[in-house]
Amino acid sequence: MKRLYLLVIAFLSFLPAFSQSDLQQAEDLYRQGKFSAALSAYETILKNYPNDPFVYYNIGNCYFKMGSKGLAAANYYRAFKLAPRDGDIRHNLTLALESGGERFVPAGMPLVLHKAFFYLSDTELKGCVFALFWVASLLIFWCLIRKKWNHLATLACLLLLISGGWLYARVRLAQDVLAVVAAPVAEIRSGPGTNFPASASAAQGHLVTILDEKDSWYEVVVNSQGIKGWIEKDTVEKV
Amino acid sequence: MKKLFLLVCIMGLSIWAHAQVQLSAQVDKTALALDDELTLTVKVSGISGNVIMPQLPSLPAFNVYSREMEQNIINGNTTLLFRYIMVPRFVGKATIGEIKFSHDGKTYTTAPISIDIYRNANAATATAAQPATAATTANPAGIPATTQPPAEESFAHLPPLEAALAHRAFQKAGEPFFLIAAVSDKAPYVNQPFTLGVRFYYSQNFYEAPYQKPTVSNLFMEDEGTLEGTQQIGNTLYHYQEQRYQLTAAATGKATIGPATVRYRVGSAPRDIFDRFFGGGTVGPERTAQSAPITLYARPLPQQGKPTSFYGAIGSGYTLKAQAEPSQVPAQEAVNLTVTVIGNNDLKATQDLALPTLEGFKIYPAAPSAGKAASGKNGAQTYYKIFKAVLVPAASGIYTIPPIPWSYFDPKTTSYRTLQTAPINITVTPAEKTESSFNFSGETAAGNGFQTLASDIRYLKMTLAPEENLLERISRFSIVNMICAALLFLGVLIVCTGERSSARKKAFPTAKNTLKKASSCQTISEAVSTYLQQKLDINTGSLPLKEIVSRLNQKGVTPATTEAFSLLWQHLEAERFAPGSNSSQSTARLCAQALDVLKLIEKETHR
Repeated sequence: MKRLYLLVIAFLSFLPAFSQSDLQQAEDLYRQGKFSAALSAYETILKNYPNDPFVYYNIGNCYFKMGSKGLAAANYYRAFKLAPRDGDIRHNLTLALESGGERFVPAGMPLVLHKAFFYLSDTELKGCVFALFWVASLLIFWCLIRKKWNHLATLACLLLLISGGWLYARVRLAQDVLAVVAAPVAEIRSGPGTNFPASASAAQGHLVTILDEKDSWYEVVVNSQGIKGWIEKDTVEKV
Repeated sequence: MKKLFLLVCIMGLSIWAHAQVQLSAQVDKTALALDDELTLTVKVSGISGNVIMPQLPSLPAFNVYSREMEQNIINGNTTLLFRYIMVPRFVGKATIGEIKFSHDGKTYTTAPISIDIYRNANAATATAAQPATAATTANPAGIPATTQPPAEESFAHLPPLEAALAHRAFQKAGEPFFLIAAVSDKAPYVNQPFTLGVRFYYSQNFYEAPYQKPTVSNLFMEDEGTLEGTQQIGNTLYHYQEQRYQLTAAATGKATIGPATVRYRVGSAPRDIFDRFFGGGTVGPERTAQSAPITLYARPLPQQGKPTSFYGAIGSGYTLKAQAEPSQVPAQEAVNLTVTVIGNNDLKATQDLALPTLEGFKIYPAAPSAGKAASGKNGAQTYYKIFKAVLVPAASGIYTIPPIPWSYFDPKTTSYRTLQTAPINITVTPAEKTESSFNFSGETAAGNGFQTLASDIRYLKMTLAPEENLLERISRFSIVNMICAALLFLGVLIVCTGERSSARKKAFPTAKNTLKKASSCQTISEAVSTYLQQKLDINTGSLPLKEIVSRLNQKGVTPATTEAFSLLWQHLEAERFAPGSNSSQSTARLCAQALDVLKLIEKETHR
C-alpha cells in the first residue's frame, strides 16, 4: 500500500515538471521564430490545462506573430475572461483589437470604470456573491437569535445586493455571444448565403456579436460599425 | 719552359671554357598548389653574338603569363637569364620537358623537370618544395626525341581531354597539318557537361583556313572559346589552334559528334597588290583536314539514393555558401538572402534551388543567375549559380535560417553528395515604422529623453496561471452553495417561526406574573396589551376598543368574555387618563379582574 502511495505521489510530482518542460520547449520554439510549431506545442498543453489563461495568452501571442490577429484577439479574450486583472493580457488584447480597428474599452467609458467592472472574473464574481450570501445569512441568523449586529447584517445585505447586481450585469453581458473575425477579410451579406449580396467587408480582428445562426452562417452585428448582416461561420472565431 | 707550358695550358682552358655554352633550367619549387605560381629560370651562359630565345617544350599543364629576359656581359661573356612565370592548370604530376637552345648550329637541351601540382596549398607544402635544377646537358648532336607515339597511359597525369588530344596528336605526328578532336568523357551522364576539343595542328605556314564545326546528335553544344599553343611532337614543333565546346547529353543512349573540318592552303598570303601580280605570295592548293567522328554513350543517372535537394548538377568540387544581408534588420524590412554554388561544371541547366519555409518570414524569390566565373590564376574555369531571395521578417526576434541543402551527382564516385549552407542568424529589431493601427501610443521624444518607438505585444507567460483563489473555489461548488444557502434560509425561517410560537406560549404566564406584581393600573394595562399582542397578534395601541373586541370575537372569544374585557379595558383607560382616583384596593380588584379575563380568553382561544 505504501508503495502505491509513493507511486501516486511520484506521478503527481512529475506532472508539473512535465508541463514545465513542455512550456520551456514551446517558449524555445517561439524565441526561434518558429511560431507555428510553438502554437502546436501550446495547444497540446492546453489539452491538459483547458482553463489556464496564460496558455490562451501564449497561443494568442503565437497567432499574433503569425499575422492572424483575429485569432490572436479571440485567444486573448479567452485569457482575459479567466484573468481580467492581468496587465499583459489586457495590453495584448487591446493591441490586437486596435490592429483591427476595434476598441477594447468602449468609447466614452472611463478606463477606471472598465477596469473596475472587469476587476473580477465571472468565476470570482460568482464566488464573491456566494460568500456574501453566506456572510449575510449568518449575520441575519445571529441577529435574529441574539438581537445583535443589526448594522453588520444590513451592510452585508447591501453588499450582497450590489454584488448580485454586478453579477447580473455580467451575466447579461455574457449572453451576447462575441466573436472575432479570424479570416483576413470576411464579407457581410444581407442573408445567409452567397446568393445574397455582400453589404460590407470586415478585416480580421473586428469584433462581432452573434445574434442567430442558420446552417453555416451567423447573423451578426459588427460592434464598431453597428452593421448587421450574415457572415460565414468559418470566417469568425467565437470568443 | 714549365711556366710557358702552364700559361699555354691555362689560356687554352680559358679559351675552351669560353667557347663552352652552358644551359641550365631551374624552378623555384617542385610542388605547388593550383593557385600558386612557378618561376622557371633558364640560364644560358658562354655565348657570344646574336642569340635566339630558348625553345620551351609543350606545357599543357601550365599557362605561361610572364616572360622576362636578363642579359649580363662579363669579360665579353654573355649570360642570359630567361624567366618564365607560370601557373598550373591541373592537379597532378606535370613535367617540364626538355628546353632546347640552339647556338652556332648546335642544340643544347636540359633535362626534364618534374612538378607536383596539388589542389590546395597544404598538400603542396607537405611535400618538400625544393627548387629543382635541370642539369646542363648539352645535346650538340641534336638527337631528336622519340618519334614513336607514346601509349595513352603515358598521358595519365594530364586531364582526360588533354591526354586524349595529346595521344591523338602523337598518332598524327609527321603530318604537317592535321585536325583532331577528343572529348573529356566518353560515357557522360545525361545532363553532365563535358568538353569537346577540336585542335588544328600545323608545322608550316598556311593561308585561309575556314573551319567548319562538327555536327552533333543527342547533344547540346555550346562554344566555350579558343586557345592556341605549341607542342613538340617527335622532333617537330607544332603550333595549334583549338576550339572548345561544352557538350551536354540530352537523353540516355548513343550520341555522336561528326567530323570537324578545316580547309587550308599551304603558303603565305600575298602581302600587297604587287605580290598578287608578281607572285610575292606563295599559296598552294586547298586541302582539307578532318577530325575523326566520335561516338558516345550517355548514361542515365542512378535513381537510387537521389536526394530531394538534387537539382541536376553533375560534377565534383562544388562549394555552396549562403549569405544574408543585413544580419540585423528592423521588422518589415527586407533581408537579402544569397545562396551561391560554385563548381567546375556549368550550372545553367540545373533547376532552381527550393528555399525552405522560414517561420516568421515572407519570402520573395528572385530569378537565379548563372554563368562563368573569372578564371583563377591557375586558369581553371569555374562556374557559378546564384539564387537570391528577399526575406521580410514579420516581427522582431532572433531568427535562424536553417542549413539549406544542395546536392550533386559525383560521376567519379557514382554517388550523390549533399552540401549544406551554414545556419544564419538574423536579428530582427522592432519595426521602426509600425502599422498605423499599431501606433496608438507612439509619442515624440519627451524632454526626459524617453521616446516610444513602437508597440508590440508583450512576451509569453513562462509559467501556468496561479492556483485558484478562494472566491473561485467557492464558486466551483455552486450546487453545494445553493443547497447550504437554502438550508440556512430555512433555519432562519424556523428560528423566526419558533420564536413567535414560544412567545405565544409564554404570553399568559408572563402576563400572570406581571399582574401579580402589579402596583398600578399602568402595569395592568401593559400586561394585558402585551398578552393580546403576543397571544393573538392584536395591537391594542393602534386600535379602538370596538375593533379590539371585534378581533377577539374573530379569534373565538365568547361575547360574555369580550363584554368582561370591554369593562376591564374601560376601567383601565379611565385609570390611565384620570390618575389619582385609584386606590390600592381598586388596583388589586382590577388585577384580579384582569387575571380572570385573561384566563377566560386563554381558555377560549385554546379550544
